[in-house]
This record gives sequence, C-alpha cells and structure tokens, in this order.
Amino acid sequence: MPALSNIIEAPLRLLGEYKVDCVIVGGVAAAIHGSLILTNDLDVCYARHATNLDRLAEALRSVRARLRNAPEGLPFVLDAETLKRGLNFTFTTDVGDLDLLGEVLGVGHYEDVLAGSVTVDLFGFRFPVIDIGSLIVAKRAAGRPKDLIALPELEAIQEAQALENRTES
Amino acid sequence: MRADTEDYFLHPRPGSAAARAADFGTDLTLTLANLRLSPEQRIRKLESFIEGIARLKTSLRLIGPTNASAKQHN
Repeated sequence: MPALSNIIEAPLRLLGEYKVDCVIVGGVAAAIHGSLILTNDLDVCYARHATNLDRLAEALRSVRARLRNAPEGLPFVLDAETLKRGLNFTFTTDVGDLDLLGEVLGVGHYEDVLAGSVTVDLFGFRFPVIDIGSLIVAKRAAGRPKDLIALPELEAIQEAQALENRTES
Repeated sequence: MRADTEDYFLHPRPGSAAARAADFGTDLTLTLANLRLSPEQRIRKLESFIEGIARLKTSLRLIGPTNASAKQHN
C-alpha cells in the first residue's frame, strides 16, 4: 500500500520525472484551485502522441501499475500500444492511484483541455491544471452527485478569481 | 490574499456565487483559509487529511449503541 502522506505528490512527481505531457484534472485540480473537495486519486488528461505514450508506459511500469479492480491474472501488457488501443485507464500503482483520461467530458481531448489550463509549479515540476471554468464545465457534464455537489464552491472560487482579474486589469 | 477577496467570502453579496454556496451549506471560511495557501500546500493539506481519515478508520472500534445514562469517561 502506498504511503498516504504523499499519495498525490508521488504520482505527480512520477509524471514530472518522466516528462509526461498531461493536464491535471478532477478533484486534485479542484483542490489546487482552493476547493475543499476530497479526493484520494490523481486524474490527468494525457497527450496521445507516440512519444508521450512511450514515456507514460515507462513511468507506469516503474511503479508496477496495474488495472484497478481488474480480475487477478487478467493479461495486461503495459506498453504504448496498449495505451493507444484504449482511452481511459484507472491504475493502482506502488505510489498511489492514477487515472488516465484520454478525454474529459464536456471539454475534449488533451489539446482542448490544455487550451483551457493554467500552469502551476508543484514539487519542483511545472504542470498545466485545467482552469476553473473548464473544470466547472467538466463537473457539470459528468453530472454525478459527487460532481454536482462541488459546483457551488467552485463557482464561488471562479467568481472570486474573476473579481481579482478584473481589478488587476 | 487581497482584502476584497477576503470580503467576498466573509460577507457574500446577495445574488453572488459565494452567497449561493453559503446557502448550499459550504463553509466559506474554510474555503478562504484554503485559498490563503499555495497550491502545493493545498495538496499537502489534502494528503494529510486523507492520512488522518485512514488512521481514524484503522484505530476505531465500534463498541455498540451509546447508553445515555452511562458516563462517557470512566
């Protein structure tokens, strides 16, 4: 079982160290924007170009990633080809749970998500994080109770950010 | 943290998103405290909370229904 004290930091460092092109989305993105939303896995939307899939597969192998909730013994080769054939993956790894999304509902693929992102420095690496407006769109599109319940706080944070930006310009 | 941002959360104007969040039940004083932190500190706080919950789960032991007439600490 991974150390809970860095269950988010460690997967982030992994992606940073292997130079994986990805955007932080989901609950961790909400937390980065200041929300008190609770989550214990990291969701990222990843680029699907060949070099990135190679880096991603190598990173995942280094932490013995395996499909979450897959039957024991299910054959699964963790390489770029497998990642190319799928889209969304949920992994358990030695350093924490990591969900890879090829597409974010309501927003689009990596390039679309990246276009609506902000850059943050985290643990010595620079990561794009889905911006709060796109995050709200994605949460609304997902439409599950756990997504909808996060909206009032996210919308308040969005309005506060807009207020700051307005008075700065 | 800017004074007008603090004010936005502490004294939400009627019709604002902050007012709607407060009506929804969000404790905006906690959100404000979180916003005073850096993104990295927010992640560390989240991890610390996850760790705390996990510790709580492993340490708790259900005794049974509480007897209202019994003393909590003997």
